[in-house]
Amino acid sequence: MQFQSRYSFDADPGRVFDAMTDPATVAKCLPGCERLEAIGENRYRAQMTIGVAAIKGRFKGTVELRDLDRPNCYSMRVDGRGPAGYAKGESRVTIAPSDAGSSVSVTAKAQIGGAVARVGQRLLAGTAKMVADRFFACLRSRVAEREAG
Amino acid sequence: MSASTFGSGIRRREDPRLITGTATYTDDIVLPGMLHAAMLRSPFAHARIRNIDTSAAAEAPGVVAVYIGADTDGEIGPAPCAWLLPDSGLTIADYHCIAKDTARYVGDIVAVVVAESIHQTYDALDLIDVDYDMLDAVVEPKQSAAEGAPQLHAEIEGNQAFHWTVTGGGDITEAFESADVVVKETIVQQRLIPNAMEPRAALASYTKATGELTLWNTTQNPHIVRFLVSLVAGIPEDRLRVIAPEVGGGFGSKIAVYPADFITVFCSKKLGVPVKWVETRSENYQATTHGRDHVQEIELAATSDGKIVGLRATVWAGMGAYLSTAAPGIPTILHGLMLSGVYDIPAIHEDVYGLYTNTTPVEAYRGAGRPEATFMVERLVDLLATKLGMDPAEVRRRNFIPKFDDGHDVVTGLTYDSGDYDGALTKLLGEAGYDQLRAEQAEARKEGRYIGVGLSTYVEICGLGPSQVAGAIGFQGGLWESAIVRFHPSGKVNVMIGASPHGQGEETTFAQIIAGELGVSPDDVKVIHGDTENTPMGWGTYGSRTTAVGGAALALAARKIRDKAMVIAAHLLEAAVEDMEYEDGKFFVKGSPESSKTIQDIALMANVAWNMPEGVEAGLEATTFYDPPNFVFPYGAHLAKVEVDAETGSVTLQRYVAVDDCGPQINPVIVEGQVHGGIVQGIGQALWEEGVYDEDGQLLTGTMLDYAIPRADGLPDIEVHSTVTPSPHHPLGVKGIGEAGTIASTAAVYNAVIDALQPLGVSSVRMPLTPERVWRSIQAAEEDN
Repeated sequence: MQFQSRYSFDADPGRVFDAMTDPATVAKCLPGCERLEAIGENRYRAQMTIGVAAIKGRFKGTVELRDLDRPNCYSMRVDGRGPAGYAKGESRVTIAPSDAGSSVSVTAKAQIGGAVARVGQRLLAGTAKMVADRFFACLRSRVAEREAG
Repeated sequence: MSASTFGSGIRRREDPRLITGTATYTDDIVLPGMLHAAMLRSPFAHARIRNIDTSAAAEAPGVVAVYIGADTDGEIGPAPCAWLLPDSGLTIADYHCIAKDTARYVGDIVAVVVAESIHQTYDALDLIDVDYDMLDAVVEPKQSAAEGAPQLHAEIEGNQAFHWTVTGGGDITEAFESADVVVKETIVQQRLIPNAMEPRAALASYTKATGELTLWNTTQNPHIVRFLVSLVAGIPEDRLRVIAPEVGGGFGSKIAVYPADFITVFCSKKLGVPVKWVETRSENYQATTHGRDHVQEIELAATSDGKIVGLRATVWAGMGAYLSTAAPGIPTILHGLMLSGVYDIPAIHEDVYGLYTNTTPVEAYRGAGRPEATFMVERLVDLLATKLGMDPAEVRRRNFIPKFDDGHDVVTGLTYDSGDYDGALTKLLGEAGYDQLRAEQAEARKEGRYIGVGLSTYVEICGLGPSQVAGAIGFQGGLWESAIVRFHPSGKVNVMIGASPHGQGEETTFAQIIAGELGVSPDDVKVIHGDTENTPMGWGTYGSRTTAVGGAALALAARKIRDKAMVIAAHLLEAAVEDMEYEDGKFFVKGSPESSKTIQDIALMANVAWNMPEGVEAGLEATTFYDPPNFVFPYGAHLAKVEVDAETGSVTLQRYVAVDDCGPQINPVIVEGQVHGGIVQGIGQALWEEGVYDEDGQLLTGTMLDYAIPRADGLPDIEVHSTVTPSPHHPLGVKGIGEAGTIASTAAVYNAVIDALQPLGVSSVRMPLTPERVWRSIQAAEEDN
C-alpha cells in the first residue's frame, strides 16, 4: 500500500519537527496508540489498536526514527504485528517553510498482510488517510497550544 | 415403471432434502466428547519460522492440546501428490501437514489448537506467538521461472515442478516456416477460486481400544481419502472408514486430501476422542485449492485459405507452493492432449512448465485443463478468421474433423470416440439465427453500438478413464468404477456405487438406469454412495466420470441380474432359457407374454430360495467392476452475443446459446442443469472472477466482497439444445456433461467481446473482462491509431 498526503501548520518547521518526533506527543495524538516507550536512541516499542472494516486488532511492534535532519526531514520505519495481521512500512516526512508556517509532506509505503489485508483491502488506504488526518489535526492543536503557551 | 423412464426428466430426488435444509453435512454431525480443532495459518506468503511459542495458548480456557510441525514427526507424513507425471522431471516438494521451518503461502498451516469449543480454539490461536522472518515471495508463474526469482524449495532448482511436452504429427518448425499466415497471442488464464457452498470439513473419531478410525470428510472421493489417510497416518485400511456425507459442492476443490484432513486425523488419534475441524470462509479462500493460473504463449500456422497446418504453445502453469493431490496432471494430460480440439491439425507442439509459487496450491477446477486448452484453440481460430477476413464459423468448418462414429485419432495420441462437430455448429447457427445476428451487428455498428458474436466449438476428454492409461500417465490409482445391485425380497433395490456424487444427480439418474434395464420404478431404487464401509471400491466423482464410468458399471451389473433372473424365470415357467424373452420387467416364454414372471416375483423367489434351479445361488445381487476401454469425448458448439458500452467498457451478455452432445441423455432436465451451471462458471472466468495476490503474496480477494462470483442479474436465459451421438464403447452410449459448459463458455464470451471491439481496434484484453480493463483497452487502441 502506498500513501501520500500534505498538511499545513501555522508554526515554523522547527516546532513542527520537535512535536512530530516527541514520543509523548505522538503517543497522545496517534489514534489507537496505547503505548509508546523508548527502547533505544530513536527506537520505540509501540502498541496500537487499529480497526479496518470488520477487523480490529492490537498490533505490537517497533518504531524507529532515522535520518533525522532537524527541521527539514526524517524517516520512520514501523514493524508491527498481531493476530489480525502484520504491517511493515517506511515513511518519509519532509517539512518546508510556507506562508502559513510549515508544510509537511508525508509519503509512506507499507506491506500489510493477514486478515487486515484480506478483509479490509479496499478500505486500507482510506483508513490510513483517516488515521493520518486525525494524527495531524491533533498535532496541529498541540503545536498551537504550545505557541499560545 | 418401464424402460421409458430412461430419458425422462423426472425430478431430482436429492433436491427435497437439499432445499428444505434437512441434508446432513459433515459439520452437522456431533459425537459425544467431541473436541474442535482450528488451524493457525501463516499470514506471510514466504517466511522462515524462527520460533513458535504455544505456552499461552496451551493454558487458555478449554484448550486440550496445541501441536506444531515437530509434534507430527513420525505420526503423519507429508500430504502426498498422487499424479506422478512421467517424463517431465517431476520434483515434488515435501508438503508437511504443519509447516516446519518455512511457510510458503498465506494459509500454510503452522500450528493446530484442539479445544472444547470452536470459540475457544479461535481465542487460543490468537495467543500463539510465531516469530517469522519474512522472505521475498513470487506469485506469478512466469516470474517464478525467471532467473533471480525467490526460490521456494532449497532442493528444487528454478522453482520448476515439471517440464512436460507434447509433440504430435508432422514437423512443427517446418509447419510454421512454410505457412502462409501465422497468428499469435499471449493469454493469461487467471487464477480462479472455486467457492463451494460448503467449506471443507473433517470429523475424525479414533477408538484406541480397537485402533479403528472413522473419518467424515467433505470429499469427492472417499475411497481415495481412505487410501491416502491409511498411507499418511499409518492406519490400516481395514480399520479406516471414510464417509462423505452430504457434500455441498466440490468442482474439483474436494478431490485433494488436504493437510488439515490429515491433521484432524492425527489429533483424534493422539487424543483418543473425536475431533472436528470446519473451515471458515476466509480459510476457504486461502487454503482450499484454486484453479487455472496459466500464462500461455500460443501461435497457429495456416494456409491462406484458412486450413490450419500447425499449433505451437508454451505454457507456464502456476502450481502454488506445493503440489496438490492430482495437480501435475491437470495442465498437462488433461490440457495438452486436447490441443487438437475439434479440428484436424497436422502438427502440434506444446511445452508446459509447472512452477512453484508462493500461492495456494492449484488443482482441478471444473473442466480442469480442458477449458484452458479449448480457450487457446478457439482464440487462435478466431484470430485466424480475423487475419484472413473470413467468418469465424467458416474457418471452423474448413478445419473440423469430419463426422465419425467409431474412433478418430488426433496427433496428440488420443482416439476420440464419436463426433459430428459440423452437425453441432450447424444446429447452433440455426438455433441462434447466426446470419440475423451478423446483420444486427452490422446495423448496430452504423449506429456506433458495439455488438459482438462469439463462437466456441469444443470437444472434451472425460469419463476418466482406462486404468492402464492411468498407470501409463502416472496417476497413482485406478480409474475403473464399481456397482453392486441388490434386490430385496419385496423387489426393492439398493444400488451401492464406488463413485461419490455430490450434487450431480446420480441418485436419480442411476435409479433411472436400473429402471431402464430391469423395469422397476425408479422410486423402488435407492442409490447408496459415499461410505467406504458399505460401498465397493471406486475412484470418485471428478472428470465427468461418474455416469460415464460408474453408470457403465451399473448397467452391466443390472444386465447380470437380468441374466440370472432369466434363468430363475425359465425354471419357474418350466421352459428352456433359450426360449425365454424379457421385456419391461417381465420374463416370459417367447410368444406367451400373458404368462410371465415379473422381476419382483424373481427377486422374492431368489431371496427365499424355495425353488431355485439346480446350481443357482440364492439371492439376486450382482457386482461389476468396470474399466472403460477408452475415455469419452462429449462435444458441442456454443454462441454468446454481447454488447459493449464503449464509453464505460461494460459488457452486457445478451444471449447464450448452447448445443451439447453427451450421447443419449438419461435425464434431460439434469443435463440441462449441469449445462447451465457449467456455462455460468465459464462466463465467470471471462467476465468477473479473478483470484488476486499482491506482489508480496497477500491474497487480496479473500472474501465474497472481493471475489466476484457470478450472479443471476448478469446472465441472460441460457438457451440449451443438444444433438445425440452415442459413444461406441459405452454400454449405454452415454458420455459426460458435468464440465462441458465450463469448457466451452469462457472462449465463447471472450470471442464475443473481442468481436464487438473489432471496429475499435482491440484484439486482446486480459481476463476477466471487467469494465475497467475493457475501457483501458479501448483507450490504448485509440492511442495506437
